[in-house]
Amino acid sequence: MGWAWLILLLATYPWLLGADLATDMLAGVGAIIFISGACIIAPCRRLRPIQAVPFAACIGFLFEARRPIPDGALAITLVAASIFLTANKPLLRNTPRLLRAAIITNTLACIAWSIAVTIALDTSQGARPATPWVQFILQVSLATILGAAAYLPISLVQNFAMDRIGIPPAADTP
Amino acid sequence: MEQNRRGAQASYVALTIFIAVWIFMPSAVRRLNREAFTEFQAPAMHLVSKSRDLARFWELKSRSSEDMAAAGRDLARVNAALELKLADFEDVRRENKRLRKIDSYTVPADYMSVVARVASRDSSSWWNRIVIRKGRNDGIRPGAPVVFGNSVVGRVTAVHLTTSEVDLVTSPGFRCTAFLEGDEQNRIVLVNGLAGNSLRAPQARISVIPVDYDERVGQVSKVYTTGMGGVFPSHLILGTVDLESQATKPGVSFKEGRLNPVRDLYNLQEVSVLVPLHQNPGEALLDQFQ
Repeated sequence: MGWAWLILLLATYPWLLGADLATDMLAGVGAIIFISGACIIAPCRRLRPIQAVPFAACIGFLFEARRPIPDGALAITLVAASIFLTANKPLLRNTPRLLRAAIITNTLACIAWSIAVTIALDTSQGARPATPWVQFILQVSLATILGAAAYLPISLVQNFAMDRIGIPPAADTP
Repeated sequence: MEQNRRGAQASYVALTIFIAVWIFMPSAVRRLNREAFTEFQAPAMHLVSKSRDLARFWELKSRSSEDMAAAGRDLARVNAALELKLADFEDVRRENKRLRKIDSYTVPADYMSVVARVASRDSSSWWNRIVIRKGRNDGIRPGAPVVFGNSVVGRVTAVHLTTSEVDLVTSPGFRCTAFLEGDEQNRIVLVNGLAGNSLRAPQARISVIPVDYDERVGQVSKVYTTGMGGVFPSHLILGTVDLESQATKPGVSFKEGRLNPVRDLYNLQEVSVLVPLHQNPGEALLDQFQ
């Protein structure tokens, strides 16, 4: 199933859209509902690297397309994470490890795009928040919480989709 | 397992090569990639936004006749009050007409107004923007001012086929020159969006305010566009000025203030995009390079 990653991307897209809608609702308080990092964990457990990499890249590009983030910053971070995770499948052996991976990946991805956007945006008067570190920590903390909260429901849908398209289940001792 | 690791090493090498290629790739390719992913998401955003409109329609349609009757009564009362206000406005209109004649003020006729629904809102410490449901197909061009009534909402930063992205007045990327109400000499100040803090209402900054400018006592002073620079028509309202938090320091020629937008930018349902009928010099220059 060479195109399994694309079908999986379509199955994941409603979650990304839901996150965008939640961001829309929270626009008044400036909070970004970021779950892209958590979306790549379950596929990395079952897909081959050649499938997981384009999946992760597309997840990154979908987030970037709607925001003024430097091109490729998040996509490359997620691709690197997916390569690491598919090469180290013992790290994704059971649910607690998967949850930990989701939290770490989501947090790291959030840190990556935050740093990229801070560097890329105009650093002249007014472009930096009054308390940049506080904002950074708030956004990253939110991403950490979301990584933990969103992983299980997203992985349920993704695992269901992967079962339907015939991707073999992950080995217990990879 | 060993095979997995060897494959991963090859993947890391491939990733490094890809990053190097990506960095040196022509910006057109990257722009095309971004455009493709934006267009992929546009139908979903349209669908969600239209579903909201439909839900609102059915919500209103499902109201009982008693509710409708009560609403009708309320409306009748409001209408009566508005009738009185209309009479006042008629006087104001006449005076306005007279003043315009005196000042030879001409309403800019070289703009075309395109009304667009807001599809989504997105804000963070680093950007404040909305996405509207009109794009290149509707004649919208990058840089066009976006207004609601006579108040400025922001400026179009990116245009796609059916959607456009608008940087709000409070976005750090927004810059504009302005006049302050009550400044007899019409000295120019600079308005730029302020990178805000999460969990706080976004604001913009007004800088280069002359030290001798003071707000009128007991009144809120408005901030108007100057019309310079060719982007915004003149005399649109940017917001109101707030100088209270500013203490004048000795030896400083200018002071700063906060701009409070006149509208709640995150509750707008519709906006108007003022598309210039003629290409401005900046666009012409861009066309030459493309």
